[in-house]
Amino acid sequence: MLLRKILLGAPVLVLGLLIQSVLWVPTYEEQTRGNPRRLVQFVTGSLGDASLLNPILAADSASSELAGLIFEGLVDRDEELRFRGRLAERWEIEEEASFLIHRPPKGCEGMSMEDLFQWLQEKLGSWPQVKRVEISPGEERRETVEVSEAGTRRKVGVRISIPPKVKVLLREVDQDFFQKLEGLLGDGYFSSFAPEVHCEFSEKLDPATQKRLAGELISATEHHPIITFHLRKGIMFHDGSPVTSKDVLFTYNAIMDPANLSPRMPDFEPVLRIETPDDLTVRVVYKRLYSPALGTWSMGILPQHLLNEEALAREAAQRGLDPKTFSIRQSGFNRRPVGCGPFKFHEWKSDQYVILKRFDNYWEGPPNYEEYAFRIIPDLLTQEMEFYAGTIDSYAVQPHQVERLKGDPRYQAFSGLSFGYTYIGYNMRREPFRDSRVRKALGMAIDVEKILKYVLHGQGERITGPFPKQTDYYDHTIEPIPYDPRGALKLLEEAGWKRDSLGKLVKNGQQMRFTLITNSGNDIRKAILAIAQDSWRQLGIDVRTDTVEWAVFINERINKRDFDAVVLGWSMGIDPDLYQIWHSSQTGPNQLNFVGFQDPSADELIVRIRQEYDHEKQVDLCRRLHRIIAREQPYTFLYVSKWTAVLDRRIVIMERDANGNPVYRRITPTKTGNYAFHFNRWIKLPHVPVFSE
Amino acid sequence: MAGRPRDKGVISRGEEQGLWRDVWHQLRRNRLAMSGLVIFLGFVILALVGLSLTTGKSPLLDPSLVRLPEKLRPPLAKARADLLHPEELPPLGIYLMGTDELGRDVFSRMMQGAWVSLTVGFVAVGIAVGIGIVLGGIAGYYGAKPLRIGTILGLAGLFSGPFALASKRLDIFLLLEGAGILVLVSTRYLGLRKGFVARFFTLPCVSVDTLIMRAVDVMLCFPSFFLILTVVAILPPSIYNIMAVIGLTSWMGTARFVRAEFLSLREQDFVLAAKALGLSDARIIFRHLVPNAVAPVLVSATLGIAGAILTEAGLSFLGFGVPPPHATWGNILSDGKRFLFDAPWLTLIPGSAVLTVVLAFNLFGEGLREALNPRLRRSR
Amino acid sequence: MISFLARSIVQKLVTLFFVSIVSFAVVHMAPGEPSQVDPMNPKFTPEVVERFRKAFHLDEPLHVQYLLFYGDLLRGKTVSWKDNQPVLAKIWERFLNSLPLFLVGSLLTWTISFPLGVQAAVKRGSLLDKTTTFTAYFFISIPGFFFAYLLIVGVVEVLRVPVVGMETFGLSQAPLTHRVMDRIWHLVIPSILGATVGVAELSRYVRSQMLEVESQDYIRTARAKGLPQDMVHYKHALRNALLPFVTMFGLMIPGLIGGSVIIESIFSWPGMGRMAYEAIMARDYPVILTLNFLSAVLVLVGTLVSDILYMLVDPRIRL
Repeated sequence: MLLRKILLGAPVLVLGLLIQSVLWVPTYEEQTRGNPRRLVQFVTGSLGDASLLNPILAADSASSELAGLIFEGLVDRDEELRFRGRLAERWEIEEEASFLIHRPPKGCEGMSMEDLFQWLQEKLGSWPQVKRVEISPGEERRETVEVSEAGTRRKVGVRISIPPKVKVLLREVDQDFFQKLEGLLGDGYFSSFAPEVHCEFSEKLDPATQKRLAGELISATEHHPIITFHLRKGIMFHDGSPVTSKDVLFTYNAIMDPANLSPRMPDFEPVLRIETPDDLTVRVVYKRLYSPALGTWSMGILPQHLLNEEALAREAAQRGLDPKTFSIRQSGFNRRPVGCGPFKFHEWKSDQYVILKRFDNYWEGPPNYEEYAFRIIPDLLTQEMEFYAGTIDSYAVQPHQVERLKGDPRYQAFSGLSFGYTYIGYNMRREPFRDSRVRKALGMAIDVEKILKYVLHGQGERITGPFPKQTDYYDHTIEPIPYDPRGALKLLEEAGWKRDSLGKLVKNGQQMRFTLITNSGNDIRKAILAIAQDSWRQLGIDVRTDTVEWAVFINERINKRDFDAVVLGWSMGIDPDLYQIWHSSQTGPNQLNFVGFQDPSADELIVRIRQEYDHEKQVDLCRRLHRIIAREQPYTFLYVSKWTAVLDRRIVIMERDANGNPVYRRITPTKTGNYAFHFNRWIKLPHVPVFSE
Repeated sequence: MAGRPRDKGVISRGEEQGLWRDVWHQLRRNRLAMSGLVIFLGFVILALVGLSLTTGKSPLLDPSLVRLPEKLRPPLAKARADLLHPEELPPLGIYLMGTDELGRDVFSRMMQGAWVSLTVGFVAVGIAVGIGIVLGGIAGYYGAKPLRIGTILGLAGLFSGPFALASKRLDIFLLLEGAGILVLVSTRYLGLRKGFVARFFTLPCVSVDTLIMRAVDVMLCFPSFFLILTVVAILPPSIYNIMAVIGLTSWMGTARFVRAEFLSLREQDFVLAAKALGLSDARIIFRHLVPNAVAPVLVSATLGIAGAILTEAGLSFLGFGVPPPHATWGNILSDGKRFLFDAPWLTLIPGSAVLTVVLAFNLFGEGLREALNPRLRRSR
Repeated sequence: MISFLARSIVQKLVTLFFVSIVSFAVVHMAPGEPSQVDPMNPKFTPEVVERFRKAFHLDEPLHVQYLLFYGDLLRGKTVSWKDNQPVLAKIWERFLNSLPLFLVGSLLTWTISFPLGVQAAVKRGSLLDKTTTFTAYFFISIPGFFFAYLLIVGVVEVLRVPVVGMETFGLSQAPLTHRVMDRIWHLVIPSILGATVGVAELSRYVRSQMLEVESQDYIRTARAKGLPQDMVHYKHALRNALLPFVTMFGLMIPGLIGGSVIIESIFSWPGMGRMAYEAIMARDYPVILTLNFLSAVLVLVGTLVSDILYMLVDPRIRL
């Protein structure tokens, strides 16, 4: 029967065809050991795809990782976490501090203007930190301001009479310069400045409004830090065009352009202007003191000839789109980027892989690896299997696997501390968290060592404050809160909470009750929820726990301040500017000081840290801030996790000696655990090397 | 009786018991289906036993007791008494099914999970079947009865009210509900008045059947897993939300079955007789039509419970399952996948358990379907 | 016929309209901002967040957003918020990735279900019947990801060949036949996973249809006439049993835009399922709504095609 034959034959045929295909596929052994190209390729796995390969636009980690290899910035950090020049060969930091002479300085009453100027030149010029003194006579300026008073908005003209201004060029930034000046000019010289006296409004306004507007228009003192970068000669983009100061200026303008919606905008907002006196010099003048400034220049530099207005207009015309609404965000550049970093873009297959090839004209010399492949494998388990099979070179190990992999002779493991920490944050606006004793007691009830040992499998360290532990800013002398449930109960008693006959912790007849929440999808935080709940239950507190999906968590709970306690983490950069997280002005909805920490001495320190350019002084201020926060316990600081990366043991560093012969040495992590610091020097050998120690 | 084809609809009370007895006999002969039933009943007993053993202040088997030093112990491992407090020791001193990454006893969690998984399955399917019977029944029974425009608008207002409530716009919610009720009420009484507005509101529009079937179509246009995922990602995670969502997205099949049955049953003589006797609509529907239409619903309910348990496991895999501290077999399974190479029992045990129970439900449902299908019955 | 078509199409368009409203409402009720706007990132000040919202028109009233969006959709201009790629192009690309999986899965399902179902019906109650029932339900009852992991680990340990992804990484230089075979191999395991569910259901349905037909009088007549069993089963019974399956072709159309997110995640298959899942997580509204819309269109087209086929094929039906 024909039909019967078809019916029975078809599945056999189909299955046969499908199954025989396995014979054509190279096995893992063939792919790794039998393939010489594999040695010059570095393959890494990622859980998610990149979105935009443009350092000024993308905020996700996959895009940032790739952009870090394709693009290069002016500076970055070296093994000791100090700044090192990349595109910039060297740089100088100066300050232009200016102040107004609104009344004669002490002892100079009655002097004529010229004599006064002479006097200032002599006095200030003799200070070692002063490079140059410039004095400009007073002038008048007319402006219009918008006033909204009593529900109406209108424009009001104002005539500002600016007294003579003295501009002092300092060799280094000094946030206390004006205090020192007051020694020369008289105490309270600057605080006695009344801006409203110098402003004449065309209409009569409310005195408070007048004072406020005047303060915005004119101020007695101004700090303008200046960073001057000197670029290296001869650096090229991947398409051969030279890297000049114009590209740096263009990158800045692109970041600040609102049409591009760059998330880096706040980093560069304090820039007043950028001057490019020649092709290799960039002079950045800031509006005010801003110590994270130098760090922001690790931003990858974009090629202006491919993304400026003409280029964008051409692309828009080519694609048939409206040039007026065509911004960098829509450009195809983001899918085929061109930078000046060690690797250049080769191919991107959406959600499958991105391939970069080495850039032979890289200014520091081409990297040893010829190819960098970024494979997207969204499932952690299959990533692991690909790693064991040898088709991926590095893998982010989970804490419970570290012991097993460290002992495996095929692999080498590196660990380091992450930049960030995990904590339990308390909503200080709510009971019972208003009292710092309660917060401290809750911290004392949790055995963090146990969490480190069993949940993190030893892959973490205790932390006591808000700075990354591996930096100088962290005060290592501060002791972590001890695990002492009995001591916790005593502290709670001091705060008015006693255990009743049923074992419940009560105050005024009410049991202490709150909910601890965290975001879903994070197994370690889930475990911490369970442990914290258990520990606090034993004190007699009624604790409920909840895991919430990330977007809901942020928008409905954190941003609306609708939470009691949260388990969260911060992942941060090296810069110690913590204004957004700890300053009392940042406690509004949608801002990052969501626990509501408000301490005036902490505020002062935070502001000074932001303005301090001297490293030693900054470290001192940071440690003082660390002590205050550790004392107040707005968070229970839990731990900083260690990351462990495992590499194939055959990957080593290869350098050339004087005769051009290759010299191999083992990869060693830097002081901060960054094992990929010399990535450009890595290569994979055909066999596991044996080093003579 | 032999030789005469049985018309499904003509079943009187006396014959009804005979029908179910027939079904039972059929089932008894199907060994696969019977084993399915046995396992199913075993599972229910297990769940109840598990519920009693694992709840309460200090239960015999504590599923949430964290014993960090004892994490990832294999099954049948002896508890290390030197590391634990006396009240932390498991009964019999061994971990029957090992421990998970926090040292919790897997056996206790499986016992608790049985009850939770069962509840999720039953409640979700209960909701689905409930909605399905109601809507399908109305569509099938009232069929071609046309609805007036006013009624439709009023119902639209009433139904869109909750959406406004979900977006926290209480004012719009009240507005919609109020307007809806107003329009509904006034439409009833507008029939007597003249005038353009009155005529507009009382104009007959689509029929009940069309309306409900279009609603079914709209629901079918959304790929169900994605609807569940979207809703679960949005709402606060809780076991009740998951049950509700699975239920609210799987009533369409039941509605269709019930409607088809009602459409064919409605024309039968016994219904006409009941109407002639003056029985109310509700009585006809509930006492006569529903019991006859229930056969396919039963089958799809059984299969639905199995499906709900699997869906819950799938949601746990993606991170959206039932949140702690409830343990379900689905979330034990997906939590364990990280440890596949280090502690395979954390996946193999719940995986096999889910497989067995779901298989049992499926076999039983299949057997039921065979037994209930008159055309497949061997002629006697 | 024409009037039926016309009425059907009008009704389906109205349904489509309602679907568009409901999906739009559901998506916008979701709390959470599109992920480009990450409020926990210290770099995102409230001003930046505001600017993003404005650029995505999120500050406009809902009905304005609705018109803007669907206007864009119908002109094919919608753009994803995550990476600024035109949505239709993205969907097309992922569709081409999912298509082979869908085709091979369906091929497997249909070619395996029929012989299984027919044999099970023909030898009802036999060991074969019981075994196939058991096996079929066995495979539907395993939780999908559990089975997937077992298969992957099994294949990798035993055969030592790569299983994940659409192709083996690094084969771009290999000859064409190797690459084609490699692609086929990578299709096998995920398709098998997808097909197992289909085979179970379809073979059950085939079996019950066959049984129904076989209990008809004319089959009994044929048998009484002495026709060989083979002819009875295949020439007469099967032909008639096949009738409703023709209409099922229409119902397969919506499957084009589906795709299991779990299987695609585990196998690193860049398909539609994962795209939809990532869009939901990132609140990438244009992508979610476009996918919903397309899926609704396909469902409605599918049911229409199925209805038409049913009418054509069954001479008893005349609408």
